[in-house]
Amino acid sequence: MRQVAVSGLHKAFGVHPVLTGVDLEVPAGSLTAILGPSGSGKTTLLRLLAGFERADAGTISIGDALVDGPGVHLAPERRRIGYVPQEGSLFPHLTVEANVGFGLPARERRGGKVTSMLEAVGLGGLGRRYPHQLSGGQQQRVALARALAIEPAVVLLDEPFASLDAHLRASIRADVHEIFRRAGTTAVLVTHDQDEALSMADQVAALRDGKIAQCGTPEDLYSRPADAALASFSGDANLLEGVLNGHVVKTLLGELPLDPAAATGGGDQVTVLIRPEQIDLEPNDGGITARVTAYGYHGHDTVVHVRPEHDAEGRTIIVRVAGGHHLSIGSPVTLRARGPVFAWPRD
Amino acid sequence: MAAGTLTEQAVVAARRPRRPVALLTVSYLVAAVLALPLVFLLIEAHGVGWSELAHLIFRPLTGMLLWNTVRLTVVVTVACAVLGTGAAWCVERTDLPGRRVWAVLVVVPLAIPDFVVSFGWNSLWTWAHGFRGAVIVMTLAVYPLVYLPVAASLRSADPGQEEVARSLGSGRVRTFVRITLGQAKGAILGGCLLVALVLLAEYGAFEILGYQTFTTEIFTEFNGYSFAASCALSLVLVLLSLLVLAGEGMLRGRGRVARSGPMAQRISPPQQLGWTRWPVLALFAALVLAALGVPVGSAVYWMAEGLPPALSGGANVSLLNAAGHTALYGGAAAALGTVMAFPVALLAIRHSGRMRYFLERSTYLVLGMPGVVIAFALSYFTERYAAGFGYGTAMLLIVCYAIMFFPLALVGVKASLVRAPVSLDEMARSLGQRRLAVLGRVTVRLAGPGLVAAFCLVFLSAVTELTATLLLIPTGTQTLATQFWAYESNLSYSQAAPFALVMIIIAAVPSYVLGRFFNRPAQARG
Repeated sequence: MRQVAVSGLHKAFGVHPVLTGVDLEVPAGSLTAILGPSGSGKTTLLRLLAGFERADAGTISIGDALVDGPGVHLAPERRRIGYVPQEGSLFPHLTVEANVGFGLPARERRGGKVTSMLEAVGLGGLGRRYPHQLSGGQQQRVALARALAIEPAVVLLDEPFASLDAHLRASIRADVHEIFRRAGTTAVLVTHDQDEALSMADQVAALRDGKIAQCGTPEDLYSRPADAALASFSGDANLLEGVLNGHVVKTLLGELPLDPAAATGGGDQVTVLIRPEQIDLEPNDGGITARVTAYGYHGHDTVVHVRPEHDAEGRTIIVRVAGGHHLSIGSPVTLRARGPVFAWPRD
Repeated sequence: MAAGTLTEQAVVAARRPRRPVALLTVSYLVAAVLALPLVFLLIEAHGVGWSELAHLIFRPLTGMLLWNTVRLTVVVTVACAVLGTGAAWCVERTDLPGRRVWAVLVVVPLAIPDFVVSFGWNSLWTWAHGFRGAVIVMTLAVYPLVYLPVAASLRSADPGQEEVARSLGSGRVRTFVRITLGQAKGAILGGCLLVALVLLAEYGAFEILGYQTFTTEIFTEFNGYSFAASCALSLVLVLLSLLVLAGEGMLRGRGRVARSGPMAQRISPPQQLGWTRWPVLALFAALVLAALGVPVGSAVYWMAEGLPPALSGGANVSLLNAAGHTALYGGAAAALGTVMAFPVALLAIRHSGRMRYFLERSTYLVLGMPGVVIAFALSYFTERYAAGFGYGTAMLLIVCYAIMFFPLALVGVKASLVRAPVSLDEMARSLGQRRLAVLGRVTVRLAGPGLVAAFCLVFLSAVTELTATLLLIPTGTQTLATQFWAYESNLSYSQAAPFALVMIIIAAVPSYVLGRFFNRPAQARG
């Protein structure tokens, strides 16, 4: 069952079109991430869902109700949305308790509900503090508790973790995911961080040029992107020319099996996507020889840039290997790619 | 294809963002009330006839008044800009010893009525007279109007920009001119606008100093009931105010200051003054002595001169009575002015648009209008259209104050609304709160301290107002200002002095609150 449905949504600011026909469905109880680079209109889409802006054309439904459409614009306070903006936007003049209880009827503002919401986000006992006495991560948790307290039809999150430290970000993401799963919350998360989108969402919608370019599971978006540009947007990508021969595609890195889901359109000239972790580096056992041109150590993995020796065009291939073994620039390595690989017809 | 485009356009047109109808309506109403004095002038002018009016305007007297008014306005405005900006920079950005004490002392002169400052100088030294006296007195009396906004803007501006400029090889002076002045430009211009308009409308100080401007002449003509002449001169004065407004608008430009990065308040180390701290300290001491010491000192001196009669029982009762009335009228006017300014400020801060810009700017016109004109306008309209309702009561005087000092309230309320960002209003609405509930539970609460500041600004101006009070005060009642004026005009300095002192004390409280408000960082953390 779908909880939010958006169809043909248009929005321009003056002469600048921002959204040019967005279609999106958010299943009930799921977390949908809207992934897009900065300036792609993600926040505008979220603000339209919240009712802070009016659409120029198109419709938005939340639950069974049409909230935006020709002649219809439901005010934000009547949409039952839980909004968590990037900066938290806690009311600085109110305590944590009063912030969480803000949207509740007056008799419920002090009592069990507020306390249990605070405990749910791991802030039990901090109700009497003021926002400025909390850390950034704690402020975000209060903002979340405040949004969830009104039992919203959908929670809207606008890059809520962007301002947090890396380690804090990972832990709060996991917590939020767990809180949502337990409460069966429907949520829309806007982010430019593909790591965040892929790790948190049940469904990822990639926003590009004012439209949803692709919408699917995180695995779909990463392994089977709709085109080459989306492949690069959802992670590091090696895009190589290939020649198709049945279910096998011949590339610079040898012959690899083709993903059966790839629609190559009948021709044999294709562009092949090989993710960096689909390539292994081996000491020297007769694979494709290459030399290391750059080397980035990240602890849990290492990203190596190599240049195959027999490639006349001198292309750089990105390889990701688990752990970190030291390689010096210029040292020889052997590459071995693993299929299946995804491909599109080459223009 | 064409049909499709048409329907799409129709849909787009039908779904324009909603205009803030209620807010616009209330704001236009306020603007209409503020326009009453101008409407009055135009009606009077029409009655006089344009040829007679031209005859009254184009005579040597007008030329003399124009020269007097313009040269004084230009010189004092520039002096206030230099003094106010320099003092604000020293207090906010350098290691001047005793900065927090100076921050209060340089604001308090705002509490001293202009005519008390001129009385202080003029009653002690006869050379403080005419143009020279007017420049000294008015600069000392109104420079805080530049100091306050500039200090606030320097405090909230990003000091990191100065550091970046220095790191890019720009010297101390160049950095001050290119970065610091740039950051404070809007505040300096805003302060200068207030100073220029206040100068155009000043009466009491110039009367004491024997300096003739449009406003003193308008007062004299009105009192002699030559309405035609005073109306003609008032129209010229309105033109001058318009010129000032247009000039400020042109200098300001339409640009907005963008700020990148989060609004975190970072304390950066103050500029080292080094050996220059001693001359700077001496200058600050001289400023406080001249602006604060002379008027207070001379009031104390004259009071001591005539001690026995000044402290007699009857005088004390009249002093208490006058103080009570002054505080009452001032408080009511300040409340009314702040309430009137709220919708207009909300419109100006939250919504853009040419119409709204002009609406907000036009309200400044009343600041440049002499109190007598506004007072006469109000009595005219109540007599004509309200069957004299409220005439001769305190109510009319309070409304008159609220109109006169509306621009000051607007400045304060606008500054306060910056502390209540729209994002928090949106947040509250997403939590199911209706517009009015949001206003009460979020916007007004956050803007609270600033609303108090706006209240104080109007209060201390109303407490020290003279000309409109003389005309509209209920018969048999006295305020501190009218009583002071009565004694001063009789040269009974020792009897006038206690009224000046009490006036300073009453006005000092709000000016201290104002100093505190503008001293705080612009954005609450969190």
